[in-house]
Amino acid sequence: MRLGLDDDELTSCVACGLCLPHCPTFVITGRDTESPRGRIALMRAVQNEGAPITAEVLRSMETCVQCLGCETACPSGVPFGHLMETTRAALAAEGRITPWWQRLGLRLLRHRRLLLAGSTLLALAGRLGLVPARRLGLPARLPLRRGRHRASGSDVWLFTGCVMDAWQRHTHLAVQRVLEATGVGVAPTAGAAPCCGALHAHAGLATDAGAIARQVIAALSVDGRPVLVDSAGCGAAMKHYGRLLGTAEAREFSARVLDVHEWLADRLDALLANRPAAPLALTVAVQDPCHLRHSQRSHEAVPTVLGPFVRELVSLDDDGLCCGAGGAYSMLEPELATAIRSRKTAAVERSGASVVASANPGCSLHLAAAGLDVRHPLELVAQALDSDGDS
Amino acid sequence: MATLLGAAARRLGRGADRAAPTADPDAALAADLRAAIGSERVRADAAARYLVSRDASIYSEGTAGPLCLPTSTEQVAACVRIAADHGRAVVPRGAGTGLAGGAAPLGRPVVLSLTRMNELLSVDLDNGVAWVQPGMVNLELSRRLAPYGMHYAPDPSSQQACTIGGNVATNSGGPHCLAYGVTSAHVVSLEVVLSDASVVTLGDLTAEPAGYDLRGAFVGSEGMCGITTAAAVRLTPDPAAVRTLLIAYDDVSSCAATVGAIIADGIVPAAIEMLDQRCVGAIEDFARAGYPRDAAAVLLVEVDGPPGGVAVAADRVAEIAAANGAVSVRAAADDDERARLWKGRKSAFGAVANILPDYYLHDTVVPRSRLVEVLEQVYEIADRYDLTALNVFHAGDGNLHPILAFDARVPGTMERVHAAGREIIEASLAVGGALSGEHGIGVEKRDYMERMFSDADLDQQSRLRAAFDPHCRLNPGKVLPSAHSCADIGSLRAADGKIWG
Repeated sequence: MRLGLDDDELTSCVACGLCLPHCPTFVITGRDTESPRGRIALMRAVQNEGAPITAEVLRSMETCVQCLGCETACPSGVPFGHLMETTRAALAAEGRITPWWQRLGLRLLRHRRLLLAGSTLLALAGRLGLVPARRLGLPARLPLRRGRHRASGSDVWLFTGCVMDAWQRHTHLAVQRVLEATGVGVAPTAGAAPCCGALHAHAGLATDAGAIARQVIAALSVDGRPVLVDSAGCGAAMKHYGRLLGTAEAREFSARVLDVHEWLADRLDALLANRPAAPLALTVAVQDPCHLRHSQRSHEAVPTVLGPFVRELVSLDDDGLCCGAGGAYSMLEPELATAIRSRKTAAVERSGASVVASANPGCSLHLAAAGLDVRHPLELVAQALDSDGDS
Repeated sequence: MATLLGAAARRLGRGADRAAPTADPDAALAADLRAAIGSERVRADAAARYLVSRDASIYSEGTAGPLCLPTSTEQVAACVRIAADHGRAVVPRGAGTGLAGGAAPLGRPVVLSLTRMNELLSVDLDNGVAWVQPGMVNLELSRRLAPYGMHYAPDPSSQQACTIGGNVATNSGGPHCLAYGVTSAHVVSLEVVLSDASVVTLGDLTAEPAGYDLRGAFVGSEGMCGITTAAAVRLTPDPAAVRTLLIAYDDVSSCAATVGAIIADGIVPAAIEMLDQRCVGAIEDFARAGYPRDAAAVLLVEVDGPPGGVAVAADRVAEIAAANGAVSVRAAADDDERARLWKGRKSAFGAVANILPDYYLHDTVVPRSRLVEVLEQVYEIADRYDLTALNVFHAGDGNLHPILAFDARVPGTMERVHAAGREIIEASLAVGGALSGEHGIGVEKRDYMERMFSDADLDQQSRLRAAFDPHCRLNPGKVLPSAHSCADIGSLRAADGKIWG
């Protein structure tokens, strides 16, 4: 079967194996079938040697978290993420992965009102004890009520997304509060651009991902203002619209997308002008979301922005290994996701931190489900700004 | 909501295997293995077998039979016993980063992957050793020893991925082996499963064990004498001070001449690495480590020890470099810069793909005094065969790593690569060199062994191997050329070469 992979991308892997310790699934299973090098070799076998797509080949592709830890580790510059997305698109087009119920769920993400209503219903059912939240990998308490979005100006967009807006709107409100402290007016995107399409691209639904990208670009291109994103996964997807659509307009749009920490790191003076007398009395561990560290490669902005507002920042000693959240991965591959997460929670314990700062909603839900106190970095900054020095 | 329902449905339905292998010639063997070590530790499907049919080299001649991932010494022994009962060979495997085909199965053997035996068993500060399982990753071991102010000294370029078991099998080297010695100097005792499935301990923690040094014979035996299931490795104290110098040259000869001059001066740096211009270019594309792209060649010299001695040695190295024509000498300003320089050096092989998609890496050793002339020959040979040669190597040891970069998709390329490789080996041997510095012989250099050793030498090596493994069940067909090995045993008969379908 043709997977539609670019031959130069495929042959750029020299099979040296330096990716292995950076792959969360290989670290857990020790099996080549669950390693980047192995996955690429199987892609080659299928595309060039006529190997059939067996159940094990599918498992190999489905178990990939798509964290891209292998990409930053790869001295040969193999574009693994692109190879995996292309492979999944070919497999999904043949109906070999991403079954109907996943497609239906993903389709829902584009319908904001339905999603919000469904989320509220789920929250209600949860309160009544009708939903086994833990078993489904859901947050223990989904919000019944959400704060209201209000635009304070039109200097920057704040992209609010789908599930994050339903489940973690308080984060968006805190982020907006921090942005406004630097003196800008913020326009939350809310219904204008209901979803970024990252999960669709991960699942191999390339057509859907493309349609969503075009919708987002059209909605947010009224002027050239920056598009700020407080979800690492969404930011990574939107920075890749240029490559996804291959148009000049998409590339221009992607160039306007910034992770919110990146944007703030360049305006630190304005932010620090509002700094309270004393930082929050917390020891905070910064968890680097893979889509910030390996995809956007802008994770260093997080400690730069957060550092001045808390008593102590500690880094984790696990070499940036993925936490296992991976968008919908933690729901689709719960056993692996939990095993991967236990390495992260052990690293957090070793660090001695009481709070974990995570700039990605998926990571934060996944880690919170393990009992950690996880906040968005800018929620902590907002708390410090409002604390007036008496934390 | 559908997602949630589906996830729930899927979770409830978990446990049923998706596919069962049918008409598998290994069915009985795999069934016995599963019964012995648990079905979750045995894989007999095409995808799993395909991936362990090669390592990081370009060799892939046989096909793997069932793949076992044991988690204890007893399970390793059980796999060896069952394979023997079925008349099948066993090939042990770590991370598969080997460059000589040592872990590439020949015939259709049972493959044992030791990656899941990766525990640090104990740290014994009084005896200065740590017991580790074979799947422990080299760099991870040093990380785990860091709280004790210790590290594991041999540091192959693949150290972030390669395992201690593989290091023992190939007697691995690494940049810092110049001063600290190679793997054999750092492994004091081994727990080994022999080919009859018995478990023995070779060597002990005393300074001078009684009897023959069987541990010494075992280290570097490339999985042909037994399978390491635990190793006692020496702890090396972290040096009090380290200085890393990056020295640039306008020509390769001056660079190579400096290496000999440093050693002749009585200094033994922790490491002396040499990189040529093409290699620097490939590395900088990935690591942005700060190597000068315009230099014809650079030396990376590291001195370590007590602060006073380090300062003196670093100054002396800089003087010698200047006297030998260096155009610049730069000391790494801090640990970050030092780490970047080493990251660049250690990713050199993979970074070759920034130039061309395939590479063939040699590993010959030549006397330091002949470095310049052999290097010139390497470039000349590559030019003649229309191949791109890059050089990055452990200059202090005279351990050359010429890389031939190529694109295997171009017809006729592999023939040229092998012919050029042969000439490079001949050139190294002609000046009194050796076939392999640290990667091992494996499949790659097996057929060159006769150039280096007499028939009598090879027969003796074969007898040593037979003393450990009389039936040639462990990693057969490697290292010893067929005339001097029992490689024609049934287990090596050409198996059905097709894994897929």
